[in-house]
Amino acid sequence: MQRQIPLTIVLVMGIVMMVQFFIPHPISRSLFELVNKWARLIGVFALILGAGSLIFYHLTKIQRKAKGWGFSIVALTSLAFMTVVGWLAGPRSMGNPAALYQVIYANVQVPLGASMFAILAFYIVSASYRAFRARNREATILLVAAFLVMLGSVPLGKDIWDHFPKISDMLLKIPNMAAKRGITFGIGLAGTGVALRIILGIERGWLGGGK
Amino acid sequence: MTANAPEKKTFWQWLATIDRRILYLVMCLVVVIPLIAMLRSTVEVTSPVQDVFNAIESLAVHQKPLLVSVDFDPTSRAEMYPMLTAILRHAFARRVKVVELGIWQTGFGLAQRALNETATEYGMKYGEDYVFLGFKVGVDAVILGMGENIKKTFPVDARKIPLDSSPMMSSIRKLSDFGLIVSISAGTPGYQDWLLYAQARYHVRTAAGTTAVSAADAYPYLGSGQLTGLLAGMKGAAEYEALDAQHGFKQASTLASTAMPALSYAHIAIIILVIIGNIGFFASRRRK
Repeated sequence: MQRQIPLTIVLVMGIVMMVQFFIPHPISRSLFELVNKWARLIGVFALILGAGSLIFYHLTKIQRKAKGWGFSIVALTSLAFMTVVGWLAGPRSMGNPAALYQVIYANVQVPLGASMFAILAFYIVSASYRAFRARNREATILLVAAFLVMLGSVPLGKDIWDHFPKISDMLLKIPNMAAKRGITFGIGLAGTGVALRIILGIERGWLGGGK
Repeated sequence: MTANAPEKKTFWQWLATIDRRILYLVMCLVVVIPLIAMLRSTVEVTSPVQDVFNAIESLAVHQKPLLVSVDFDPTSRAEMYPMLTAILRHAFARRVKVVELGIWQTGFGLAQRALNETATEYGMKYGEDYVFLGFKVGVDAVILGMGENIKKTFPVDARKIPLDSSPMMSSIRKLSDFGLIVSISAGTPGYQDWLLYAQARYHVRTAAGTTAVSAADAYPYLGSGQLTGLLAGMKGAAEYEALDAQHGFKQASTLASTAMPALSYAHIAIIILVIIGNIGFFASRRRK
């Protein structure tokens, strides 16, 4: 019974929503709006679940004094602090850039996030230097294509040779597009297959339990 | 003792294994020096960027509103924020009504800042010329909900003002009332969700701004015509800024344009370092 109820709900809702897509009737549209509203409400509960998991994970780490547990204290303190600040400021503060919540966001989260991403530039240069070796034919093609796209993607490339942007554009629009389309079609077909398997109850991994 | 002493590297081996700290220093210098020296470079406007620009121009002609979705967070601010402000400046300069929202909750503050900054420059009035819907959980459910009824999905805006009381929202009821959607997207969820639901289901023209690394993923949609136009990375933003400046829009931003020389030199430095690494690798292998 524990499994039959969710499987039945998925079967019925899966078929109903598929059929609904092709029927532009007011009843069908209002059903769609209703289900959509439910989906958004369930999304809110997912946020609660996410916050709960985060707290539980870090509390366990602190209790066990696992490696890096000090950072867990920082994470939990930050979470609690921002929650309290946001709560005290109230929902109207969301539109006010001078509110403490927004000031912290602009002066802590924005520079921290930007710094994290900026560090990537250094890792990219180190990784490309070490990994990009023309060891065989495929690697050489990849290397040359990468050089051409890089040179075509910056203004200096055009100053060096004005055909670089055209070659880069050609590489992106022809071989890249062909490969990406193939991958996208594959993903789409596989996604449809998995969706059908879930709706029909063949794929039951989402139920959990590992059986 | 001598048997355990580290073997001295040849010049070619050194070339193939340069210390990462030297690489970091090189990268730091090629980025910082052009920024300090305030070097300038000219950018040529590519057709996908021109297409986004033309689409917004057509909104002004047909008096259709623009929906801007801010789908990035502070980590990709450097690349995405200049795109956002350049597009908003263009829209406001042409008196196009703008509705902004975000499907990334951490992008809320940036979305709000860009809107306030650009709207103030052009003297736009909140509720009459622009509205900020904020963030709502649900991504696909939110887009689909907006396709049916925006006011049911967002009964109030980010300032908690009911949408019913907003003059400009009286004529905007669902997604199909927009002339164009622009998703400034740094990943997932992002422009693909707008394409899947808003463009495919409600037939609203959709354009995107993406990070440079994910631009290649967007080309199939550009080729198929599902994407009206594309701004790829900081260069895309610089091209849009150049278009804004060419058309004489006041306060045209140069955030991305000023970074172009640093970006160019960083790319060239990576290419040179990869070539050096390969020369060292093959030369030292041949000597063995």
